[in-house]
Parts: sequence; C-alpha cells; structure tokens
Amino acid sequence: MVDAIASFLTAGPFDEFVATHDWVWPLCEILHFFGMALLIGSVGLVDARMLGIGKGIPIKSLEKFIPLGIIGFVINLLTGLLFVAGNPVGGPQEYLLNIALIIKMVCVLVAGLNLLAFYALGIAKKANAVEPGGDAPTSAKVVAVVSIVLWFGVIYFGRFIMYSDTLLYAWGL
Amino acid sequence: MIDAIENSAYAIWVRESPSIWAFTTILSLHAMGLAIIVGINTIIALRLLGNVPSIPIYSLRKLYPWMYVGFTINAFSGLSLLAANLDNDVHNWMFLTKLSLIACAMINLELTRAKVFEDPLVVNGTGVPASAKRFAIASLVLWSLAIVAGRLSEYPSFVEAWVGF
Repeated sequence: MVDAIASFLTAGPFDEFVATHDWVWPLCEILHFFGMALLIGSVGLVDARMLGIGKGIPIKSLEKFIPLGIIGFVINLLTGLLFVAGNPVGGPQEYLLNIALIIKMVCVLVAGLNLLAFYALGIAKKANAVEPGGDAPTSAKVVAVVSIVLWFGVIYFGRFIMYSDTLLYAWGL
Repeated sequence: MIDAIENSAYAIWVRESPSIWAFTTILSLHAMGLAIIVGINTIIALRLLGNVPSIPIYSLRKLYPWMYVGFTINAFSGLSLLAANLDNDVHNWMFLTKLSLIACAMINLELTRAKVFEDPLVVNGTGVPASAKRFAIASLVLWSLAIVAGRLSEYPSFVEAWVGF
C-alpha cells in the first residue's frame, strides 16, 4: 500500500516541482500552520463551548464557523500531500513509514469519524438546542473531549514527524 | 552571557536530551499554543468584522483567559527553545521580526479588550464601536505575519537568498 501511495504521489509533477522550487516548502509550511489555526479556532472552539467554556456563546451560532475549519483541513490535506510527495530526504516512502505520521493520520481519521458521529447520531441537533448559558448534553461533551484530544494529538505527532527517532527511543524501538 | 544561557543545564537538556519530553514535546507545545491563541483570535476578529451576527460579541470576552493560556504555553515553550538556540536566534532578523509582530499583536489584543469589549454598546448588546473592524483587521494581519515570520525564521538561508540579508 505504501508503494502504491508513493507512486501515486510521484506520478504527477509535484515531487519535481518541490525539488526545483525552494519557496514551495516554506510557503506550504506557512499555509499548513494557517490551516491548523483555522481548524483549532473553529472546531476546537465549538468543543470548548460544549465543555462549558464561554457559556454565553450560542453553540448553534458558533457551529457556523465549522466550514472555516473544513477549509483549514483541506488546505492542510493538500499541503500535507505535497510534503509527502516532495520529501527531500528519502522520498514519500520515508514519510509514509514514519511512525509519527502514521499515528497522526490515525488521529485525523478517528477525529473525522468522531465529527461524523456528532452529526449522524443526532448529537449536534441536541447541542444546537442548548440555550446560551446552558449546559451541553453529556454525549456532546464526550464528542468534544475526543475531538480536542485527537486534534491536539494531530499537532503533537505532526511535530514529531521530523524527530520520529525520539519516539522510537522512548518506546524502546 | 549568551554562552552561559546556552550552556546551562536546562538549555542543554532541551537541545540534546533524547527524551521524548525535551526538544520535540516543547516544539509541539509551541504549535499547540499558537493554534489556541491564533485560532481564538481569528474567530473573534471574524465576528467583529460582522460574521455570524447571532453570536453576542460580549459573550466572546470569556475567551480572553484561554488566549492567555495559549500565550503562556508559548512564552514558556518559546523561552525554552530560545535558550537552547540563543546565539543563532538573536542573530536571526526574521525571528526578531516575529517577536516584534507578536508584541504588536498582544498590544492589539489588549486594546481590543479595552476599546471594544468594555464599550457600553458591546456590554449592553446594542451595537459595536466603529473601531472594532480596525482592531479585527489588525489582529488578522499581525497574527498572520507572525506565523509567516515564525516559519521563515527556520529558513535563514532561504530568506537570505530571496531578500539579500
């Protein structure tokens, strides 16, 4: 599977483009940080509100910022794919087998399923009905905790991608 | 003095320890703090610019302590990373630019609190002072530029190749 993804990513002109233009990598990193802030600002803030922070803010209104988080996510998906495709040391394979990146991707996947559950199981509907100043239902609080832990996990392990040997060292691998 | 700080036990631990809790976790914390403070700032700024009017502006003042949580995480993680790499950082003009931008952004944050969140119009929920949009735009611009400068400070040779110094 790693080989399939790697050859898919290097089939286009992207790896070549990253290698021959020194501004692509720093620019994409800047965008990746913007995307992160948008995601945490919107999704993270809805989570925080459901956990009781800023109770005067209506949950239903705050949720209108979620599309901003989705924009941030798409920015990060695209720039992230470019990082993997254009990895200057070891190519895509090196990143795809990187333990920190694998854990990060698992966190992204589960966070996505969590968000899906939030809407599909009717939890969002219940949370939206909460008046300003009111307490979110327990189910919404569970979704919020899972979301916050996972998205901060994404940031945590994202930063470890460049230093994955410290993880391997810590785990005795 | 710079040498003494860089060679202090703490700076050496941050820089050289193979522990998971040293350099990399501190670096991760720095990204998390950034996401918290810039994320909340962005939402407040967008609301001040007129987005999602169903959110009472006054209700957003409760997010100030959480922006300071992000700021505190980054002050401590940032000082640790700075101690570990002091000699390089103080000669990195892009890094110094980033610090200046953050200082301006924090002043703007407090001015927004004083001039917008404490304005009777906002407190009573009857309106918004005209200055709110200016503070919001300044916030978006300053934090964006701080991120740009922060990222570019990691690439001094790239910056030199493009800017000339």
